[in-house]
Amino acid sequence: MPEPVTFLGRATALVGTHEASAIEMGARTLLKKRDRAAAEFPVMEEMRDRARAIRLHALSNLDRLLGHFADRAEEAGVNVHFAADAEEASATVARILEETGSRLVVKSKSMVSEEIELNEHLEASEIEVVETDLGEFIVQLAGDTPSHIIAPVLHMMRQDVGRLFEEKLGVAYTEDPTELNQIAREHLREKFLQADAGISGVNIAVAETGSVILVTNEGNGRLTTTAPRVHIALMGMERIVSRWEDAAVVLEVLARSATGQRLSVYTNVVTGPRREGEPDGPEQVHVVVIDNGRSEVLAGGTAEILACIRCGACLNACPVFRSVGGHAYGTVYSGPVGSVVTPGLHGMEPWWELPYASTLCGACEEVCPVRIQIPSMLLQLRAQAAEGGRLPGWLEKGMSRYTQTAVSPKKWARAKRWASLLSAPISSKGWIRHLPGPGRGWTDSRDLPRPAKESFTDWWRSNRGS
Amino acid sequence: MDRDVFLARVGRAAMTGLLPTSPEVSASLPELEPADLVGLFRDSLQKVDGVAHGPVSGHGAPVVVSGIASGHGCSTFMAWDDLPAPGVAAELTAEGLERVDHDIEESSRLQHQLGYVPLSLGVTGALAGLADSGSLVLSHGPGRPRMASLVPEVHVALLRVADLDRTLSMWAHNHPGAAAETANLVMVTGPSRTGDIEQQLNLGVHGPRHLHVVLVS
Repeated sequence: MPEPVTFLGRATALVGTHEASAIEMGARTLLKKRDRAAAEFPVMEEMRDRARAIRLHALSNLDRLLGHFADRAEEAGVNVHFAADAEEASATVARILEETGSRLVVKSKSMVSEEIELNEHLEASEIEVVETDLGEFIVQLAGDTPSHIIAPVLHMMRQDVGRLFEEKLGVAYTEDPTELNQIAREHLREKFLQADAGISGVNIAVAETGSVILVTNEGNGRLTTTAPRVHIALMGMERIVSRWEDAAVVLEVLARSATGQRLSVYTNVVTGPRREGEPDGPEQVHVVVIDNGRSEVLAGGTAEILACIRCGACLNACPVFRSVGGHAYGTVYSGPVGSVVTPGLHGMEPWWELPYASTLCGACEEVCPVRIQIPSMLLQLRAQAAEGGRLPGWLEKGMSRYTQTAVSPKKWARAKRWASLLSAPISSKGWIRHLPGPGRGWTDSRDLPRPAKESFTDWWRSNRGS
Repeated sequence: MDRDVFLARVGRAAMTGLLPTSPEVSASLPELEPADLVGLFRDSLQKVDGVAHGPVSGHGAPVVVSGIASGHGCSTFMAWDDLPAPGVAAELTAEGLERVDHDIEESSRLQHQLGYVPLSLGVTGALAGLADSGSLVLSHGPGRPRMASLVPEVHVALLRVADLDRTLSMWAHNHPGAAAETANLVMVTGPSRTGDIEQQLNLGVHGPRHLHVVLVS
């Protein structure tokens, strides 16, 4: 798990940077594509309702569905493993790699592998792990972390990538995305064809068939699960639906919400290793079902967040995320969904600040393909933090001063008079455009009405009083 | 962790958690006439940077495929054994393209797969086509290698017009067993693409750069 950081500290450092402006541009483009795809799909709203019902049904019956899934997958020849936490999950992968004599491993994009810090775990051994999603490959070369759940290098400009390739791959500098793409393709192609094992995530699993489904646009997900002898799929335990038809509904809203596509380029359904007489495909398929805090979330008040299908639309819609980007959150899952998921998975204490990283404007819920009620969950987590004695400094100080003043009619009256007097020199035409001192942030993006010259109590006394 | 212990914990959690319920909804786009499906498929495929050809008769298909191959300057190819039009592989061989064997023996997997690096053309059939998204549904199995639609620069798929449906969810509803019938079912929607660098579209990242679909009537 990454070190807890203060969101405010990180975010303040990122505001106005090159990275933040790249995020702003990228997230807006993705959101525009999503909106266009939603508008041109006549049954988008109904499909979102269907997807929501499918996901909530799956969560309510999660133990039963996982049991069915394991039975069907094993019948198809899959080895199904269950891991209680990050450590057990990584150890399971390491053991499979060791038992299969794997030295070179290709990986397609997987959020859960970042969550369990698999690469760090495997680096300790002699195993070479290569990320193959173009964005993740760049992140790995740079020794960086992803800044968006579906667009890992949203924070980088083409020049950054050009300089990185020049330095790490020994190629001539170019900032042409097409050439950069070609360099990565050639570099990774040989890795794919020679790899001993492939590690992937799971977008959605199907209980009635024992299938795992992986979605990619580049084709790295297919190569990872086709060329190597061994395929290991890492699956967050909530990533499941009952039937194949249900998965199809989820896939249609997922692609539209994530990138505005009607379907992603490659939707890859894997049901066991290569079968008798098949010309290619892996000899072994392993699925590692991972809990790592999810059952605690499922048992609590924010269980609904597990319905998330990781499209990233709430990130793109969030004004806070767009101003600072994923790195400000200090964890794998960023944006509105991450602010609910992270305290749930890793504990409220180190991450109590994240639910405050929101204006509660509701844009996240509006675009969520499964209509997760994120703002109300953020409020719930804030309440939980406050009950545990955790409040942001400004709020804690402000509230305690307010309480001291408001409980005494004398102090309250004095405060009102002072507010009226002090605001006179900084207002114009009844509005305060710039507050001094700690209030500055508040008036950066809005004006405050000037307190009335005479308080209501004073007015009452002189006009209606006896 | 032991499966039963793991699932028991999940079961207890699901019972105590506060999950809203949501009513089952059944909504989908209306079915289309076959002729409309063809037009919609062509438009959708074009939107995702693929190219549609035909519909042509089964006898006309080999010439169309070899035309695509020479247009891209292909010199080697891999093909599925059972294509919906006869004589495609024979036509390509007659035009001078070298056919690459697709059966990988486990003992020589690495050596065999490295031989795929210069592969320029893959020819496949398709179990179905999805008109709304311009997608192909590929069902892999004996004689139908996964690599044919994955490793080459150019992928040509032969799709029977009768196998068109409208959307993935409609097709899945009509074929509830499709996912379990093969070890690998893949929906292909256009050539391989990425927008990872500054959201700028790039084709042919890890999969084919060019996708052609020959509709067979």
